[in-house]
Amino acid sequence: MKILRKQDTRIPRRPLLWLAAALLFTLPPMFGSLPSWVPLLFLIALAAKFWMEPKGYRLRSLVWKLVLVALILSLLFFSYGSLRGIEPGVSLIVMLTSVKILEAHTAREFHIMIMVAWVLCLCGFFLSQNLAIALCLLIAFTLLLVALIQFHRGSSSAFWPPVRTAGKLLAQAGPLIILLFLFFPRLSTGFRFQIAPQRGASAGFSDRLLPGSVSSLANSSEVAFRAEFPDGKIPPLRAMYWRGAVMWHGEGLEWEAPKAQVALPSTSQGPPHGQALRQWITIEPHDASWMFALDWPANPPAGAKLVPGNYLLSNQPIHKPRRYEVVSYPEIPSNRLHSREREPLLQVPADTNPAVRALAQSWSAEKAEPRAIVNKALEFFRTQGFRYSLSPGEYRKNDLEEFLFHRRLGFCEHYAASFATLMRLAGIPARVVTGYLGGEYNEIGHFFLVRQADSHAWCEVWFPDSGWQRIDPTAVVAPDRVNLGFNSFLERRGGAGQLDSQSVLARNLARWPIFGRARLGWQTLSYAWDTRVLSFDGDEQESFFASIGIAGQGPIFFIIGTLAVTIALLALYAGWTHLRTRPRGDRVKIVYESFCRKTAKLGAPRDPSEGPLDFSRRATGLLPTESDRIRRIAKAYIALRYAPAPDPTMLEQFAKEVNFFVRTS
Amino acid sequence: MRQGGSSERRLPLAPTRSLAGLLFVLVAIWYGASSQNNAASYLLLFALMSVFLVSIPRTLSNLGGLQATAESIKPAFAGQEVSLPLEVTNESRATRYGIVLTLPDLGDACERIDEISADKATRTILRFPAATRGEHEIGRVHLTSVYPLGFLRVLKQLPSAQRYVVYPKQAGDQRLPAETARSGQSSSRRELGEGDDFAGVRAYVRGESQRHIDWKAVARGQALMTKQFTAEADGLLYLDLTAVRLDDLEARLSQLALWVIEAERARRPYGLRLPTVEIRPSLGEPHLHRCLRELALFK
Repeated sequence: MKILRKQDTRIPRRPLLWLAAALLFTLPPMFGSLPSWVPLLFLIALAAKFWMEPKGYRLRSLVWKLVLVALILSLLFFSYGSLRGIEPGVSLIVMLTSVKILEAHTAREFHIMIMVAWVLCLCGFFLSQNLAIALCLLIAFTLLLVALIQFHRGSSSAFWPPVRTAGKLLAQAGPLIILLFLFFPRLSTGFRFQIAPQRGASAGFSDRLLPGSVSSLANSSEVAFRAEFPDGKIPPLRAMYWRGAVMWHGEGLEWEAPKAQVALPSTSQGPPHGQALRQWITIEPHDASWMFALDWPANPPAGAKLVPGNYLLSNQPIHKPRRYEVVSYPEIPSNRLHSREREPLLQVPADTNPAVRALAQSWSAEKAEPRAIVNKALEFFRTQGFRYSLSPGEYRKNDLEEFLFHRRLGFCEHYAASFATLMRLAGIPARVVTGYLGGEYNEIGHFFLVRQADSHAWCEVWFPDSGWQRIDPTAVVAPDRVNLGFNSFLERRGGAGQLDSQSVLARNLARWPIFGRARLGWQTLSYAWDTRVLSFDGDEQESFFASIGIAGQGPIFFIIGTLAVTIALLALYAGWTHLRTRPRGDRVKIVYESFCRKTAKLGAPRDPSEGPLDFSRRATGLLPTESDRIRRIAKAYIALRYAPAPDPTMLEQFAKEVNFFVRTS
Repeated sequence: MRQGGSSERRLPLAPTRSLAGLLFVLVAIWYGASSQNNAASYLLLFALMSVFLVSIPRTLSNLGGLQATAESIKPAFAGQEVSLPLEVTNESRATRYGIVLTLPDLGDACERIDEISADKATRTILRFPAATRGEHEIGRVHLTSVYPLGFLRVLKQLPSAQRYVVYPKQAGDQRLPAETARSGQSSSRRELGEGDDFAGVRAYVRGESQRHIDWKAVARGQALMTKQFTAEADGLLYLDLTAVRLDDLEARLSQLALWVIEAERARRPYGLRLPTVEIRPSLGEPHLHRCLRELALFK
């Protein structure tokens, strides 16, 4: 119970420590998305604060502050070229916060810092929203509460109580948060600033297939999407070809998808064959329009279109996790291939190597039947000593000869590209498809996790009788890649040499059962975060309202409704708090106080400092008619109060006496 | 001594400056979340809102069961500081945190109590300047708290009937009168403490003669006290309001207050003569305070 003067406005050390811890936890989203000098300078400012504070130093001079701000502005301008957009904006806030840290000194500035830290949490969510970041920011949020509580507790220095209080507050806020999240209408403000964060090049999927473009993703453990099969029909891993884009335009080892795509008219395909496969896919944001589905998607989900080549494109770039349902069929027969469509599908670059041409023509001269030609080509890949490698070395764009006849070392994109070119040379319409193959099954969450490392490229050739047919030359060269999935494939091959040490560590850890379970659990949580929380936007909210039968109400209805429920919950909570903490009833005291109120009404108020005996003496003087009763009551009170073991019936007697006292007088 | 009790009155909650900051941050987050259509930011918005909302009942109940009791106040001289000892008791079943005590009627005196456990009490002293001489009432004691998050301030107002006396400021440049009030026939002045009449006891001052120490009291375990004796009252100093040659009443009272203290220091028995009251000459602390009190209350 220390007592502190309020006039002492310096920020006490403990709340400052909590605040600093909270600020540290707002940093992780910044590393990686902002130039690293931004969070580093922020860290330096924090460290400097703790060096300066005990010495009483702080940033006082206005000139220095202005110089620092000007310096920051020019640094940001030089590193971004402009101050517009999410990243420069966030960087600016972070840097100004650093200056504020150096300057902050008083209790008022402490509160400003807390507010700024909350804005930093918001900035963190602008930069990244994955589960790990969300947990970091949750910790930061809690630490800010702890800092505030510690500040208002003053000098009490225990470590856990403020943490416990913050935890309790958060726990009590939990139901409210859920209520508001589900029901508070997501109004659109009208004045939007839709600026997507710029993502690094590692995000991967592209409309061009270059030698090395897929293998560069092989080490990326970033999640591409997750897929669930709600009907429980799960295709075998080797048949899990996730279709992403179709490349029509080929130049040897380089293939490209058309830029502008119109939706495929629904008449261009026949009725689907085979078993329908329903999938729920939650795609990670990649800021492009790619959407993935198993071969072959039949209908586009809402907000997307099916384009020639039977793949999905979103109408809007995907900036946040998005969940969609799509149904695929093993076969969707296409209609006839017109000769004007057929023409581009046979085009090869003019400078194709004569040896390559000769190889393809040797197959087509021997056999006229397309399937026989395809088998011949696959035979060639199987028997001629081709090897599958993550690092086949550099190939030039049209260096098919080097690949096919000399080095014979390649990754899936090399096989797909060369196979498609060879088919075209042999007179069979062919195209390259890129996407993902397989995925990792999570047995806790029952979903497939598809990573960038699962990127794959394969071929499709046209047979006049059955239409497009998938041919995966990689399956011939490295059958395990297709059957086991990429990770297990690498493990079996002992491919550690091709991976950086970090992923080797991760992989070795994953072999331990506990870590394996923990990893699966984390992935499941992360999936739930993406599907339940992140994808819950205005549209999802609408369909949620429809599912519980309250759709079609205006936003005012929901605002008033959530407000009413909130107030009711708060009232309940307030009542509960009151009941829990109200003073313990002391019956003797309560009865005696009611007696004193009664005498006061009769003109004999008890002085607060007056003992019961003194008061009864004075009261009998003032109220002679009641003197007997007053004396009896005083005697009973004294006995109940001070006797070592008062008779329990005495209290009832005393209460009756006091009760009686008012009625007769 | 308990003040207030049933007559306590609770004013509604008042927002603090931090609340304006919070509202600004909430609007900023809402704007960011809705323009980016960012569910995680919405979650942050609702989390902050909900935590603030559930902190309201906590703030409201944080003063529940608290009582402040003013204890008796030592008189002070005008211009000096009055110290008001307050006992704050927590009759509730929960620990109360961050309580600020103020006296709204008496300037910006302010004390903070960080923590009072359930069923415990704590003492604190509020200091405020003693403005004018006379007897004053404390008026109200305000308990405020912004705990736990500092966005709202709850107030509990406890009326206090406790009174305090402010003595006149000791001031003036006139010399302590010689024994002008002596009635003619008395021959010689005798030093204090050497008379025949027992006048009381006062605290022993080191270096003093040990002849008059009240040894019987020492034997009873009390502190060292000196017995004081005075000679016959005649021929002793009478401090008279009408005898002070100053125009302003307050200045005259101040001069008298100074004289009273000087006389006490010099251990010259003194009396006080005001138009309303006359105090016979004597010495000692009770006498001093009696004189000063009369000066304070003089109208």
